[in-house]
Amino acid sequence: MFDYILLFAVALSALMAIIQENLYKSIIILTFESFSLAAIFHFLLATDVAAVQAILGAALLPGLFIVALYKTTQGRDE
Amino acid sequence: MEPFQVGSFLTAGVLIVTGLWALLMMDNILKKIIGANLIGDGVNLVLITIGYRPGGFIPEVMHHFHATATPSSYSHLLEFGEFASNASYSLPFALVLTNIVIGASTLSVMLALAVVLYNKYHTLSVHKMFEGED
Repeated sequence: MFDYILLFAVALSALMAIIQENLYKSIIILTFESFSLAAIFHFLLATDVAAVQAILGAALLPGLFIVALYKTTQGRDE
Repeated sequence: MEPFQVGSFLTAGVLIVTGLWALLMMDNILKKIIGANLIGDGVNLVLITIGYRPGGFIPEVMHHFHATATPSSYSHLLEFGEFASNASYSLPFALVLTNIVIGASTLSVMLALAVVLYNKYHTLSVHKMFEGED
């Protein structure tokens, strides 16, 4: 049951990350989507892929996005 | 095919369609980059779902990991052939492992190019960026 909830969460948060106007909130929702995808990889018996996806999706990806967003808006809320 | 696999394929379809829509329709260039990332996630999910075997074993750790593992559930698995016929298909896993790392590096290059475009045009909107040009 929990795996189907995760599938629904991935699809819904992908849609929400695109629709969301504030880009900081969009990045946080994208991080949630990536981490839920790592949990789905664990349920699909691919644990090594799940570990790499969790590290890259939950740490590297929002870091890169936030650095790029800070360099383009200089901290302004846009 | 198991219902969870069907749901996985549908979720991957939602991810790819959402990413394509963001790439084509969104005005902000960072939203386009998020869409490209979503397409990569959808493709990874399709490949992982192809390699999934319902009720199978994790192929990396022999005998000791099962989806519902108890110490008595793998005691009959003494032969390697029996393990190999029950483990899930591990070639797409290696493929996706490479694809995730390459996706992260191409994402960083795309973000750096977005910063360069912002320094040149002082906007993130693609429509304003190419306003004077036809």
